[in-house]
Amino acid sequence: MYSTTAVIEQRQDAPPGDLAIWFFILAELLVFAVLFVVYAVARRNNIELFDLHQQQLDRSSGLANTLVLITSSYFVMRAVAAIRDGRAHLCSRWLWGAFALGFLFLLIKGAEYQHHFAAGITLRSNDFYLFYLSLTFFHFMHVVMGMVILAAVAFKAQHGGYSATDYTGVETGASYWHMVDLVWLILFPLVYVMH
Amino acid sequence: MKYQSQLVAKPYFIAAIGLFIGQIIFGLIMGLQYVVGDFLFPEIPFNVARMVHTNLLIVWLLFGFMGASYYMVPEESETELHSPKLALALFWIFLVAGALTIVGYLAVPYATLAEMTGNDLLPTMGREFLEQPTITKIGIVVVALGFLYNVGMTVLKGRKTSISLVLMTGLVGLAVLFLFSFYNPTNLVLDKMFWWYVVHLWVEGVWELILGAILAFVLIKTTGVDREVIEKWLYVIIAMTLITGIIGTGHHYYWIGTPEYWQLLGSVFSALEPIPFFMMTVFAFNMVNKRRRDHPNRAAVLWALGTAVMAFLGAGVWGFLHTLSPVNYYTHGSQITAAHGHMAFYGAYVMIVLTMISYTMPLMRGRAAANSNRSQVVEMWSFWLMTVSMVFITLFLTGAGILQVYLQRYSDAPQAFMVVQEKIELFYWMREYAGLVFLTGLLLYVVSFFIGGKEPAQQNA
Amino acid sequence: MSGTFTKSMARNIFIGGSAFFVFLFLALSLDTVRALPDRDNRQNITEQVALGKKVWEDNNCIGCHTLMGEGAYFAPELGNVYDRYGKSTVAIKAFISSRPVEGIPGRRSMPQFNLSEKELDAVAEFLKWTSEIDDSNWPPNIQG
Repeated sequence: MYSTTAVIEQRQDAPPGDLAIWFFILAELLVFAVLFVVYAVARRNNIELFDLHQQQLDRSSGLANTLVLITSSYFVMRAVAAIRDGRAHLCSRWLWGAFALGFLFLLIKGAEYQHHFAAGITLRSNDFYLFYLSLTFFHFMHVVMGMVILAAVAFKAQHGGYSATDYTGVETGASYWHMVDLVWLILFPLVYVMH
Repeated sequence: MKYQSQLVAKPYFIAAIGLFIGQIIFGLIMGLQYVVGDFLFPEIPFNVARMVHTNLLIVWLLFGFMGASYYMVPEESETELHSPKLALALFWIFLVAGALTIVGYLAVPYATLAEMTGNDLLPTMGREFLEQPTITKIGIVVVALGFLYNVGMTVLKGRKTSISLVLMTGLVGLAVLFLFSFYNPTNLVLDKMFWWYVVHLWVEGVWELILGAILAFVLIKTTGVDREVIEKWLYVIIAMTLITGIIGTGHHYYWIGTPEYWQLLGSVFSALEPIPFFMMTVFAFNMVNKRRRDHPNRAAVLWALGTAVMAFLGAGVWGFLHTLSPVNYYTHGSQITAAHGHMAFYGAYVMIVLTMISYTMPLMRGRAAANSNRSQVVEMWSFWLMTVSMVFITLFLTGAGILQVYLQRYSDAPQAFMVVQEKIELFYWMREYAGLVFLTGLLLYVVSFFIGGKEPAQQNA
Repeated sequence: MSGTFTKSMARNIFIGGSAFFVFLFLALSLDTVRALPDRDNRQNITEQVALGKKVWEDNNCIGCHTLMGEGAYFAPELGNVYDRYGKSTVAIKAFISSRPVEGIPGRRSMPQFNLSEKELDAVAEFLKWTSEIDDSNWPPNIQG
C-alpha cells in the first residue's frame, strides 16, 4: 500500500477528485462565464431597463440563498474531512445536511419563480428577464444535479463505499458542489445587486 | 475478422460507394447549373438534381452506418449476428426502394410523383432532405426497425461493450428522430421547428454518437491502445456533444418565427459545439501516438486521423464562423451555409464511413490485415485528392459567400440575388473544377480496391 | 488515488448531462410552442394558405429557393418576395405563370409548373402570409 507521505505528495500534485470532473467543471464555468459576459454587455446597452427590473427582485431571498449555499459548502467540506478520517457515517450525515440545504435553496428560489410567473413574467417579457430567468434557472438545474450527486455519494458512503484511503468520489462530488456555490456567488451580486 | 456474419457488411459498403459516385455526378451537374443556368433544363431542373444529390448522400451514409454496425457489433458482442439473412433481405429492400425513389425523382415531375405515390393521404413530401414519397419514408422506417432488431438482438445475446452501447444509442436515436419527418403541420413555423428535430438532432446529435463509436472501434483495432482508455474518452466526447448540441438546436431558431431568446441560448451553446470535435482530434492523435503496434493498414489510420481533423474544421470551425446570431443575421441562407455544409458532412460522416470501409474491406476480402503497399498508396492518394479538393470547394464557397453577404445583405445599397450570383460566378467555376478533382479522387478510391490484389500483404513496420 | 480517470465517471457524466439538457430542451420547446401564437401569424392561416403550402411542397419550390433562409441557394429568398414585389400577389402569380417551358437560354431557369388559377392564388397567398410572420426582422433588407 502507499505510505502516508506518498499519498500526501500525490494529493499536492493533482486537483482533488476525478480528473474527468475537472474537465466538466471547466466546461461548465466556461458556459456561465460566457453568459455573464453577454449579460454584462446586454446590460450596458440597456441600463435603465435592467436597473428598473432589478429593483423588482427580492434581494432578501437572494441573500438567504447565498447564506444557504455557503453553509452547504461548509457542510460538504466537513464531509470530506470526515471521510479523510475514515468516518464514513459522519461524512454521510454532513452530505445529507448539504443536500437538505440544497433543497432549501430550491424552495426559496422556487417561491421567487412562483411570484414572477404569477405576475405574468416569462423568458419573453424583456431582455432583463430573459437573462435573469436563463441564468438562475440554468443554475437551479445545476443545484438539482449537485443534489443528485451528493445523494449518490452520501448513499455510497453510508454503505461503506469509501474509506480513509479511497474517497475520490467524495472529493469529486464536493468539487462539483463548490462549483455550483461559486457560480451563485458571482450570479447573486451581478444580477441582484450591482446597479 | 472473427465471425462469418460480419461479411454482410460487404454489400452494404459496395452499395454505399456506388451511391456515393452517383451523388458526386449529380453534384457536378448542379455545380455546372450554377454557372450554365439552363444546363440539362428542363429534363433535369436544378431542384431535381439537388434532391438526387442530397438524398443519395443520406442514403449512402445510412448504408455505411449499417454496414459498419453489421461489422462492429458481432465483433464487439463476441457472437454471430442474430440474422445475416435478415440483413441481406433488408439490404435489397433498402437498395431497391432507394433506387426506385431516385428514378421517380428523375422520371416524372415532382408534383406527379406526389400524386402517384398518394402523398395526399399523409403529405410528407416537398421539404428539404425529406423529399422522399411518404411510402419510401415508411419503407425506411421498416428497414430501420429490422436493422435495429437485428443488431439489438446480437448485442443482447453477447458481450455489451461501451462501443456497442454508444453505437446502439446513436442508431436508436437516429430511427426515433426520423419519425418527426412524418409530422408536417400546415403552420410553417411549427413545420420548421420540428424539421430541425430530424436534421439538427441527427447530424449535430445522434450521428455524432455513431461517428464516435466507429472511430473508437477503429482506433482500438489499429493502435492497440487499452479499451478502457478509448471507451472512457468516447463517453467524454459524446457527453460534450449532447451537452452542447441539444440546446445548440437553437441556432436554427433565430429567424423562423420562434421566440427571440433562442438568439441568446442558441448562440451560447452552439458556439461550444466545436468542443467535442476538438476533443476527437486530440483523442485520435493521442491514441495513435500512444499506439502499441504499427498496424499494416496505414491507409485506415490516415482516414481515421483525417476524419477527426476535417470534422473539426468543417463542422467545428466553419460551423462556429456563422453560428452566433449577430453574424448569422447576415449569413443565414447564403453560400457560407453551403461551404460549412459540404466540409462538415465530408469531414465527419463521409470520412468515417470511408475509414470503416478502408479498415474492414481487406479483412472481409480475406487479406491478412491490410492491402498491399501499392493498393494503399493509391488509396492514400485518393484520400488526399478528395480531402484537399474539398478544402478548396469550401474555400471557394466561403469566398462566394462573403461577397454575396456583403453585396446582398450588408451593403448600404444591397443588390438583387440574381445580380449578385452573376458577380460571384468565378468562385462557382473554381468550385466546379475542385469538384472534378474530388471525383477523380473518388474514382481512384474505387480503383484502389482492384489493384495489388495478388501481392503479398503489407508487412508490419 | 487523485487524478484517476474512470470510465464509469465519464459514463455517468454522459447520462446525467444528456438527461439534464434533454429536459431543459423539452421545457424550452414547450415554452416556444406556447409563445408561437403571438408570432406565427396563425390566425391568418386560411384554407387558401394551407393549399398554398401544399402547392409549395408538391412542386418542391424549396429545391431552388430559400424560405426564411432555409432551402436551396440557387434562386432568391421568397419569405419576403411579397414585399419585394410591392405587396402584390398578382405580381407573384404573373412571374410563376410566365416561366418559359424551355427556360431562358444560358440563365438559371425556373420550370413551368402549369399551376391552375386556384393553385396560383393559393401559393401567392401562402407567400404573403409567410412575409407576415414575426421572424425578428429577417432578412436584413428587401433583397432577401
